[in-house]
Amino acid sequence: MTAMLPILVPLLAAALALALPGDRAPRLVLLATALFLPLVALLVMVRVHESGAIVVHVGGWAAPFGIAIVADRFASIMVMLAAIVGAATVLFSSGEAPDPRTDRARSTLILALLAAAAGAFLAGDLFNLYVWFELLLVSSFGLAVLEGRGNQLAGGIVYVVLSLLSSTLFLVGAGLCYGAVGTLNLADLGVRLAELGNPRLATVLASPLLIAFAIKAAVVPFVAWLPAAYPPLSSAIGALFAGLLTKVGVYAIIRTSTIAFVQEPEVIGFAILTAAGATMALGVLAAVSQAEIRRILSFHIASQIGYMLMGTGLALVIVATTPSESVRAELATIALGGAILYILHHIIVKTNLFLVAGLIERRRGTTELKALGGLAQSDPAIAAIFLISALSLAGLPVFSGFWAKLVLVRAGLDAGAWIVTGIALATGLLTLLSMMKIWVEAFWREPVAAAPPPREPGPGWRPMLAASGALAAIALAIGLGARPAWWLARGAAEDMLARDAAAARVLEGGPETPTGERREPRAPDPEEPRR
Amino acid sequence: MALLALAVLVVLAVAAPFVQRAAPRRAGAILAAPILLLAAGFLAELPAVAGGTFASSSWPWIPDLGIAFALRVDGLALLFAILVCTVGPFSILHAGESLAGHPRLGRFQSTLLCFMAAMLGLVVADDLILLFAFWELTSFTSFLLIGFDRERADARRAALQALLVTGGGGLALLAGLLLLAIAAGTGSGPVFSVQGLLESEALREPAAWPLVGPAIVLVLAGCFAKSAMVPLHFWLPNAMEAPTPVSALLHSSTMVKAGVYLAARLSPALGGIALWDNLLLGFGAVTMLGAAFAASRHSQLKKILAYTTVSSLGLLMLLLGLGAAKAAAAYLLAHALFKGCLFYCAGILTEETHVKYAEKLSGLARLMPMTAVAAILGALSMAGAFPLFGFSGKELALKAELAAGSFGLPLVIATVVTAIFTVLAAVLAGIKPFVGAPPRLDEPSAESHADDRAAGPRDPAWPRLLGPLVLAGAGLVAGLAPGLFAKPMVMSTAASIAGSAVPESPLSALGLLWPPTLATALSIAALVLGIVLFALRGAWRRATDPIAAASAFGPDRRWNAALDGLMATGRLVATLLRGPTLTGAVRGALIAIVAIIGLAAWRAGPRPDLKEAAEGTTLLDGAVVAVLVISAIAAPMVGSRMGTIAVLGGAGAALAAVFLLYGAPDLSMTTIAVETLVVVIASLVAAQLPRIKTISGAAARIRDLGIAASFGLLVGWLALSVAGRSELKPVSDEHVLRSVPEAYGRNVVNVILVDFRALDTLGEIFVLGAAAVGVTAMLGTARRRGATP
Amino acid sequence: MTLLLACSIAILFAIGGYLLMRRSIVRVVFGLVLLSHGANLLIFTSANLVPLRPPIARAGAPAPEPPFADPLPSALILTAIVIGFGVLSFTLVLVRRAARELRVDDVEELCSERPR
Repeated sequence: MTAMLPILVPLLAAALALALPGDRAPRLVLLATALFLPLVALLVMVRVHESGAIVVHVGGWAAPFGIAIVADRFASIMVMLAAIVGAATVLFSSGEAPDPRTDRARSTLILALLAAAAGAFLAGDLFNLYVWFELLLVSSFGLAVLEGRGNQLAGGIVYVVLSLLSSTLFLVGAGLCYGAVGTLNLADLGVRLAELGNPRLATVLASPLLIAFAIKAAVVPFVAWLPAAYPPLSSAIGALFAGLLTKVGVYAIIRTSTIAFVQEPEVIGFAILTAAGATMALGVLAAVSQAEIRRILSFHIASQIGYMLMGTGLALVIVATTPSESVRAELATIALGGAILYILHHIIVKTNLFLVAGLIERRRGTTELKALGGLAQSDPAIAAIFLISALSLAGLPVFSGFWAKLVLVRAGLDAGAWIVTGIALATGLLTLLSMMKIWVEAFWREPVAAAPPPREPGPGWRPMLAASGALAAIALAIGLGARPAWWLARGAAEDMLARDAAAARVLEGGPETPTGERREPRAPDPEEPRR
Repeated sequence: MALLALAVLVVLAVAAPFVQRAAPRRAGAILAAPILLLAAGFLAELPAVAGGTFASSSWPWIPDLGIAFALRVDGLALLFAILVCTVGPFSILHAGESLAGHPRLGRFQSTLLCFMAAMLGLVVADDLILLFAFWELTSFTSFLLIGFDRERADARRAALQALLVTGGGGLALLAGLLLLAIAAGTGSGPVFSVQGLLESEALREPAAWPLVGPAIVLVLAGCFAKSAMVPLHFWLPNAMEAPTPVSALLHSSTMVKAGVYLAARLSPALGGIALWDNLLLGFGAVTMLGAAFAASRHSQLKKILAYTTVSSLGLLMLLLGLGAAKAAAAYLLAHALFKGCLFYCAGILTEETHVKYAEKLSGLARLMPMTAVAAILGALSMAGAFPLFGFSGKELALKAELAAGSFGLPLVIATVVTAIFTVLAAVLAGIKPFVGAPPRLDEPSAESHADDRAAGPRDPAWPRLLGPLVLAGAGLVAGLAPGLFAKPMVMSTAASIAGSAVPESPLSALGLLWPPTLATALSIAALVLGIVLFALRGAWRRATDPIAAASAFGPDRRWNAALDGLMATGRLVATLLRGPTLTGAVRGALIAIVAIIGLAAWRAGPRPDLKEAAEGTTLLDGAVVAVLVISAIAAPMVGSRMGTIAVLGGAGAALAAVFLLYGAPDLSMTTIAVETLVVVIASLVAAQLPRIKTISGAAARIRDLGIAASFGLLVGWLALSVAGRSELKPVSDEHVLRSVPEAYGRNVVNVILVDFRALDTLGEIFVLGAAAVGVTAMLGTARRRGATP
Repeated sequence: MTLLLACSIAILFAIGGYLLMRRSIVRVVFGLVLLSHGANLLIFTSANLVPLRPPIARAGAPAPEPPFADPLPSALILTAIVIGFGVLSFTLVLVRRAARELRVDDVEELCSERPR
């Protein structure tokens, strides 16, 4: 049941935020829940690391015909990251002035979004994953257009249409899987596809799903929605989206390609590597050319999704092609561990960079580079936080991104994947360029003559700075104390690659319910017609 | 000792801004003193190191990856450590004076100290990853230092340029080091220990060549970028935007030497491999000669020094390529001493006279005698004049080249020509400003301005004088009595470079001068010719104008164009990625979807059994499907909003009928209910929706129809060939079996929804709720916005 | 019947995809509706089709009498339809709002980067 808490707590809170009377109630519920969630996630994480993965058979119905919630080490890390991002962005937004028109909706939707993200990370069932994806989408749709500014609406439409295309493909994939092997449980899918004995067909079944996830993860050529929808968002919401949304897609790609669609790892791995290379290179090229901070950051998200995919693709290719078994296991773990370490670092750092953009906007009223300048002088705190995050993002040693890049490059070179490794390295350089472009233009250069003087930060500045500073501290800690972070990532990768054990855990550990035995009574009456 | 030194530097770096605030006048001395003590400590280790005893220590860092925080101080490391800890404090002292009162002086000192820590860490690191980390830190701190005058666009540009060139080299280096580590590990995990790498036999095995070959190229690319080898040299002269203390420390003895250091460090492992040697020789020789030529044509003080530095770095690389460990070690030391000295002197000259050009300065010896002594000694050493240590360095280099056999000859010629240019540069930058007619102070040149400090140029106070005097003196002492410190340093460094102890040979200037050899003759000839060239420098510059114009050191000119090109490409890519519009984005996505799924399907080649699929079709089925298909096809043709809504309603109804016909009455009813709601809602908002227009041209429509048709066919084909053909028992069998006995429900569909898959239903309710919240909020904000336009 | 349904799926997806590429924003929304119909029909077809035999057990019986239609796809589609309804309502309101606010109905104008 512990594993369900990260889903149920925010869901309950969302209902509360919607229902409680009073203008301030939703904000309070949101803040309390968001700050509480990291503790819940910590509980799950500790339990998982102490006694192994937790599998909850919801309602007492054994997988695969019931829904399984699976909290392994990877899932628990992701839940923790989601909780941290939630806490930081909500703390940040608590510094923004209340807006009675939208506060209730906003609080409810943020909580629903956090629940949906946790659900997506914990789902062990394909269709259940679909449901959480939809909740994630709908709540993010609402948040994206809540303020109703023109460019938000326009970006929102692009986001909605491409997301719904992705949802359709998800349904197609789920339907085809059920038609082909008669199951929806991810672990069971892996087992039954093996029984089917037609690896190429398994890949066909995987393709609509992987594309659906790729659209959510903003992988080239499906990135269009991201640069349209993210830049116009308000700072806290933008940071929340930047930290979470695309990573749910990446997570689904890793999850399904390591447990369900394992018949042709070399083919899927190669496809993922190709996409990774294209995404890294094109994303960063686009980012370098932008002149507004959030736009730069948005394109970087795509570019860095490429790194995560690179580790995933490498792991799959290594699993398929390395002859020696001991080398294979070690190398694949390193590659996938690199991807997971990258996700870990990226979520923290990218969220923070969007928050920094928010801080800058608050002080200067704009995030256009050409209208900024002199921030290093006027706001040393922002400068320090930005520099830590930017250098982490660019992968400069010994900041957090360096270790992830190092591990990925090492795996790439060891596996002989020269091209994608070269792209990864060059992408690192261009990332450094674009981060330093922000630094030079916004922080170093004298402010332009016409620029308005810095605004007083006003009330609420402190929680904003605290949220951003805390994330910077976490990023710094990941960088300097690389050992625990790598230990987490490596452990998660080991769980993912030990597929047989993972499948057995889900499929065999369930409650034995011999047919006909009476179970505890249930509240709803199934005879009652639905809606 | 090494760890202590690192800790001290880091502590000082943290403390610097506070010290600066607390004692603005004495901060420089307070910060410099502990470092000079460190230098003394390192010097005290010299006898032990020269005797072959190396201090080393190691702490696990990320043991899972084989990465350790390992330090080791051998001769090569010690040489650099001493340089960092002596030149470094001089820079701090200099900055404390020359930047006195600058609001960011505290931060500047802090960054300078960070750089020193990074540089020290780089040379004492005994782990490749640690080494790389420090390497990148030197790049980044030097970015901050070069861009110190951040208000000036030139400084910002130079800083970014240096960061990108050295950073790009750093990435190549990372790949190269990793390849070396992997090759040395021979399949059992990479070897990250530097010492382990140097002792590894595996690198020279033919089997390792596919890794080692690329590794050599990549590692040297990194070294060349950092040490400003042609064609990656252009950032270094531009980096002269930095204040004097930065140039003296970074661009003479430390940062730019990092590439030389690493090449020297890896020499025991890779030296002797033809690719390694030839790359070092080739790039070293071209850089040495080219940069010296460029230096001979410049007259701006710092640029002259910058180009001769590039030239010296080329010579050092060349010597490493020759395997001339001792010559490399000696020249390394000599260059650090005289170039550091000259950078300080040039800085003092510019600060005191506000003149940047050597040609405009003369006769300052009487006004600033101490500076003159230091500068002239430095210049003589740079020119390779007897008895300074520069002479020893050049002699050893020429000897090594002469000993290299047939291909040594072109190298000797190149070195002698370089030496001639270097003499010209040395005399111009270090001697000419101090001799000749005194400056006409009553006629201030255009560049000098009469601020209150300008009571005329004079010797600065000791903090700025100490550095050049000590370095110049060291150059003299080293030449006359190398046994004091120069010999143990050079011999132990040479041992590190060669991988084993090198034979003893004379090192003092006198020992090298007598008995005279061919090298001595060449050296003296170069000196004389250099002085002649100095005298004729006006004619020389005019004569070489065409060459300079033709070869106009290109990369820097192309830098802006390259950046602009990058930006233009980037904007193009950004447009491409964005779609550029929704229509384009969807079109691109659909094409990709069809291509990817189509490829997968083509590989698998599923063949649906059409006959079986056609079985059991009734007339009623046909009728229902006909309604569905006709509604769908009509949808894009109907031009009105209400008409389209009606058509869609028809499609929904037909769908409901299909569900009803095939045993899903609940589904059918839900479909009807939902479709009705949709039609109602759509009709309500229809009037407020935009009108339907046909905007695309016919060609676009036909193209889109093609894309859409292949999309539809693909999905239909998959449905036909995959769906419903499972030979495996579906999990719903369990649902059916357990529905009545365990869940007490006769309608299995309902039981699944509220019990077996209740979590889905819970999520679904929240989706509806969230959608409702979103809709309400949007309607709410719209209304209020409308109310207050 | 599977064949006929597969043809319907093909047509629903083709027309849906075609509408999605139109520049008239209303048509894009209608395209989404057709795609969602197509996906639901695909899930329905994924199980073996059994005419007119809903999976409902008679009173007193331990299970429905075979043959009966596979209950799971029905359950999935029910969930998907309700979710789709929620999303569609949201999209309709969004489009209406965007069209009023921005005063354009051409997608290309709507989403081009004009400062607003």
